[in-house]
Amino acid sequence: MEINKLLFVTKFEELGFDALRSLLTLRNSALDHVVFVNVIERDRVAMRRGKGYQKDEEIRLREAANIRFIDWSETLFEQGMEVGVYIVVGSLVPEVIKATQKENADLIVIGRSHKGVLEHLYSGSDVTELLRRAWTPVLVYKQLSETTISVEEPFERPLLAIDWSPGSLRAVEYLKVLKDTVQEVHLVHVADEKDLKGPSAMAIQKTRKEARDKLEEICESFEASGIKAREHVYIGDPDEEIEKAAKDCQASMIVLGSSAKAAWVEKFIGSTPRKIAEESIYPTLLIPPEKGE
Amino acid sequence: MSKKVLVVDDDPDVRLFSVTVLEEHGYTPLEAEDGEIGLKMIKAEKPDLIILDVLMPRQSGVRLYRELKTAKALKDFKVIILSGIAKKTFLRSQKALTEFGGAEIPEPEIYLEKPVEPDELADVIKKVLG
Repeated sequence: MEINKLLFVTKFEELGFDALRSLLTLRNSALDHVVFVNVIERDRVAMRRGKGYQKDEEIRLREAANIRFIDWSETLFEQGMEVGVYIVVGSLVPEVIKATQKENADLIVIGRSHKGVLEHLYSGSDVTELLRRAWTPVLVYKQLSETTISVEEPFERPLLAIDWSPGSLRAVEYLKVLKDTVQEVHLVHVADEKDLKGPSAMAIQKTRKEARDKLEEICESFEASGIKAREHVYIGDPDEEIEKAAKDCQASMIVLGSSAKAAWVEKFIGSTPRKIAEESIYPTLLIPPEKGE
Repeated sequence: MSKKVLVVDDDPDVRLFSVTVLEEHGYTPLEAEDGEIGLKMIKAEKPDLIILDVLMPRQSGVRLYRELKTAKALKDFKVIILSGIAKKTFLRSQKALTEFGGAEIPEPEIYLEKPVEPDELADVIKKVLG
């Protein structure tokens, strides 16, 4: 599960070349190929009464994107990297899925959605839809200017939230091969308060100890792969506690598995991964389970 | 029989432009929309000349050019690069790949930066094909 090829999806205003630069430490592992994707939303060039299809506007938008990508690509080419580009008119998520399949990408990087409250209410967010439909890990990149933290390299100190789901266990394998990029992993399991309603303090401590022992095993497997790892057990609401743990550990990114409770055509996204992807101040890497799990 | 020229470019407008120039000057144009398809067509069609873009999906012109020039059976294909990427970037990228352990490869016959005039393209094709 190495990251050889990364799909960098941008509308430019939310994700720039500085974000990509911060991910180039992945070159120490296996990253060799970056594919830029810019989707021109249909309604920007759609038919207008009296104007018809706005072909001139499409050409203008395509060329603006192309010029930007040429500039970015030159930097990457000169470092010996492989670069590709897609500039297409369509709907964001289907076009990203199409490009991911065509390129067989290992990671999709996307900025946080900037839709307004009303748009979210009626159409949902692109990030949520992408997480639901993609079988490829997705990194929801958060711009530095939006946050109070300073993230230089997201993969440097990830916080991996473990809930024992197939996705979160796959995330362990995903990070393990990045020993030349990741400096230290913090593993956190958030025990739900309702699981702690034991008859005594002993029972509660037992729950904590069991979780800790399981985390320790994973830590040992990280250490065996050459990555420092520390385990933590938190109690409470997962959405809040994962964010707190990331702050406590001075994490550079949050990594979670996305749940797979039903997989007919699209998979079910747990509310915690979705909420953290959308709302956390940290870049968030979502690892889906294997197809069929 | 007219000479076959393969145009490898992901931009349909550029392919149309090149194909029109080629037809007007009596060549047989062939088209490929990315480097992977381009390589398959080169092996199957054995064109007399390849007009190659650099920035494309799936496989870029940088890697395709390198693949051509390092494979015994393919290194004699003539190549014109036609791209928005600057020539110095193309040469630096090849230098970087050589430094990472790749073989030293020759510069392309002709390097044209987009956009190009029809006459200019026709002239260089004529020059390369003789």
